[in-house]
Amino acid sequence: MAGIDCGDRSAREINAEIRQLIQAGHNDIWISNPGARHNLGVGLCVAARIHIQGSVGYYGAGLIDGPTFEIAGEAGWGLAESMLSGNVLVRGNAGNGAAAGIRGGTVVIYGSAAARLGISMKGGLVLVAGDCGYMAGFMGQKGTLIVCGDAGEAFADCMYETVCFVGGSIAELGNDAVVKQPTPEEAGFLDATLERYLTPEIRAKKPPGRDFKKVVAGRKLWNFDQREWQAWQEAL
Amino acid sequence: MADDSLPYRRTLVPSGVFLPHVIEDIQAKAESGLYRIRGYGTLRPRHWATFDDLTFLPCSLTRIPLEGYRERCLTRTVLGTRFAQKPIELDLPVMITGMSWGALSYNAKVALARGAAMVGSSNTTGDGGMLMAERENSKTLIYEVLPSRYGINIHHMKMADGIELTIGQGAKPGTGGLLLGSKVSDTIAGQRDLPIGVDQRSPARHPDFLGPDDMIIKVEELREATDWQVPIVIKMGATRVFDDVKLAAKAGADVIVVDGMEGGTGASPAILQEHTGIPTLAAVCEARKALEDCGLYGEVQLIIAGGIRDGVDAAKAMALGADAVYIGTAALVALNCNRPLYVEDYRKLGTEPHYCHHCHTGRCPVGITTQDPELMERLNIEEGAARVANLLRAMTLEIQMLARACGKSDVHHLEPEDMAALTPEASAICAIPLAGTRKIFGG
Amino acid sequence: MCGIVGFLDKSKTSERAAVGEVLLTMLQALGCRGPDSAGVALYGPPADHKLIMRVKLGGGGDLPSRAQRIIDLAKSFGTISDFSAAESYARFLVDEGIDERRLIASVESLDPEMEVVSVGRRLDIVKQVGSPASLERSYAISQFHGTHGLGHTRLSTESRVDLSHSQPFWGRGWRDLAIVHNGHITNYHQLRRKYEQKGVRLYTENDSEIIAVYLAQQLRSGRSLEESLRAMLRDLDGSYSCLAATATQLGFVKDPFALKPLLFAETKDFVAVATEEIAIRSALPGDYRVREEPVKEVRVWQE
Repeated sequence: MAGIDCGDRSAREINAEIRQLIQAGHNDIWISNPGARHNLGVGLCVAARIHIQGSVGYYGAGLIDGPTFEIAGEAGWGLAESMLSGNVLVRGNAGNGAAAGIRGGTVVIYGSAAARLGISMKGGLVLVAGDCGYMAGFMGQKGTLIVCGDAGEAFADCMYETVCFVGGSIAELGNDAVVKQPTPEEAGFLDATLERYLTPEIRAKKPPGRDFKKVVAGRKLWNFDQREWQAWQEAL
Repeated sequence: MADDSLPYRRTLVPSGVFLPHVIEDIQAKAESGLYRIRGYGTLRPRHWATFDDLTFLPCSLTRIPLEGYRERCLTRTVLGTRFAQKPIELDLPVMITGMSWGALSYNAKVALARGAAMVGSSNTTGDGGMLMAERENSKTLIYEVLPSRYGINIHHMKMADGIELTIGQGAKPGTGGLLLGSKVSDTIAGQRDLPIGVDQRSPARHPDFLGPDDMIIKVEELREATDWQVPIVIKMGATRVFDDVKLAAKAGADVIVVDGMEGGTGASPAILQEHTGIPTLAAVCEARKALEDCGLYGEVQLIIAGGIRDGVDAAKAMALGADAVYIGTAALVALNCNRPLYVEDYRKLGTEPHYCHHCHTGRCPVGITTQDPELMERLNIEEGAARVANLLRAMTLEIQMLARACGKSDVHHLEPEDMAALTPEASAICAIPLAGTRKIFGG
Repeated sequence: MCGIVGFLDKSKTSERAAVGEVLLTMLQALGCRGPDSAGVALYGPPADHKLIMRVKLGGGGDLPSRAQRIIDLAKSFGTISDFSAAESYARFLVDEGIDERRLIASVESLDPEMEVVSVGRRLDIVKQVGSPASLERSYAISQFHGTHGLGHTRLSTESRVDLSHSQPFWGRGWRDLAIVHNGHITNYHQLRRKYEQKGVRLYTENDSEIIAVYLAQQLRSGRSLEESLRAMLRDLDGSYSCLAATATQLGFVKDPFALKPLLFAETKDFVAVATEEIAIRSALPGDYRVREEPVKEVRVWQE
């Protein structure tokens, strides 16, 4: 176990120290006083466990492949953006574009997520215990997005193959988003995932897997068809 | 009764408003209910000021020219001196621009990479990520980060010689990319994490920053991801060039790319190609003024793109302030685009060699803008690479010829004062005297 | 495109809160996203039946003589007190009942570069080209005590970098109204022409100014701050996270597409709003949650 006190140092210096510690054989690193600064943990491609005892700013754990980040505070914009693999857990709230473009790995937000959660995601798993904001799942290509609370407007707009699940209400469905019933396997997967990441107290307050709404693309926007003009007018 | 043999009845006069191609356009829209999509770039005859409206003023009595063949004229080009630990060093100032694997075939991408490497130039990835073959075959490879983030991969970024943050491109600024279903083959779909055969539209904006203030932080993230080693390039379509270039410079760009209205595209709505963005000539002039205005001219390098056809266009762009130019369409033409081969297949598309702009169909007769393996076979990588290398060499010789004639021992010493304008508009835009008047017009 | 901050003290202690210091610390944390200018709108205790007037002296040199001309002119309208002239500004108190519009017009006609930057019973707008640190050196912002305030660091996009074009903007014609804006109003020119047609004068080419004009008009027509901010969602196009403050209130509105960041934290002691969490955390220690605003959100707090 090793510790870094961020103090007044730049993200560049802090990230360099993280890499040095990992190279020296530490794989459990504690970072204090992050002060919500930007670009912490960017580009880290080694397996290690990084505990951030506070908030991160923009692009926390962005462009990573392999490590696990546990963030005790909040996260700013672009949390874990373009992650290839790894785990990023945030105890607080996450800002715009959390899990933007992720290609694998897992992002768990215990608070709520702001606008554009999982935008352009290309794989991986996103789980939000609270609510999510406007335009979550926009142009989602692959992967799974789970919101235990309520979803904001334009939910799952213009998606490809990302599969979304919402436990609470959906303020407004996005273009080409359709609501379906989860299959028994999917319900089982939801139950197992919630049990894995949420404490029993919090899990108990969320609905069972089978009561989640499943939201996928209706596929009307995948190839232009003039009969679907209403849908295309919004999308284009 | 009317006499059909009278001469005037045989003259066909089209409406000056509803020209034949306009009629065809309206009727196509009446069929489909959708705007027109095609490739290539603006097709309109250019009635605005272009590089053709400038001419060089070689030395005669007031200055002394350099001898071709003997007296050196340097072409070495360095990009990214502002902040990067490892600036990009090229043997010549002409580079291959980003074009996606998807819009282009695998053979085309590899041929471009090899051709550029053969002469010490650079290649750029595109909207789809990096092909390993591109990295293997390129000497210098610039990695594009686009709004779609297709194929985004930190390991590929760390392998690149520069990172280009693409805000937009000249052919269709302010909008996202387009790849029609026939080109979303299983390999392309795999690379981009998309279903096979969709009409793929990329977003107009980046997913994780929305504005130049956020972009400042994004640039820092890209530096952090690449260990502060390589240049960060910001590429924009030419719209509000003066303001945009200042913002990109303030955001910490090492190099700025401005892509003018005449830039090409594999597929995009026709109206965007024709009616958005400002011409490349206007763009380079605004870009230089912007850098001068914020005191960074000479510190931040400028790459100009958008319909650069030959060494003359490149030399004029450089005289006006560019440190290098990107070519896209010209490189593809070198690779056989619009060459009279497989002429029957051009006709099947409803076109002829020298008139084809049907990149969006995926049925490119010469195997460049297609994903069909049989068509792609028609593009031989070795031959293609050699042709691209030849074009780059020829363009460089053209630039050197003009530079020597103007008394320069280095192509980067070309200045606006080495030229005269041939029209008042060019004079006003470039702040260069109109030939015959010794006066700068308007401006 | 910029950094914006707002702070409101809820503790209601007799010793007013160090609003200036909090705003300054918040702005310093945001400096990198707004290197061109910095400014604050400060709300102090109200002077008895007086208005605070702050005037930009202009760049023509000889500031003492310019300041003197303002004193002489203002005296003809009412009693002047607490006159000070420092760096780019003259500031003084004048009787509340005077013909304010005429005084402003008269001051501004003394010299083309003179501009009344703020008027109110409690409001002081202080802004200039340069960093927050430079603003502090010029005007000792950290010494200011009051109830609430706004701050701004500017990254200029399409208009000039000078004092007048900097923010906060006073909602001209409505006492104590100030705004700060991050984003870009895309129907600015259209709105500007409509206001100019009605005789409203705009002082800059900065699109953010139209928000100040708009909100002043809304408040003048009897709407509350909250209703006025909500009306922005209908009438103003483009991107905006916008903070507005009056003599007793602090509020914000976030545009319908959530294009610019805005976060807030609220405890029993304060409300803090900022473009980035780092601004709030650096100024206000404690254990509290920070949350990014949802789209189209409007909130107003009472001092």
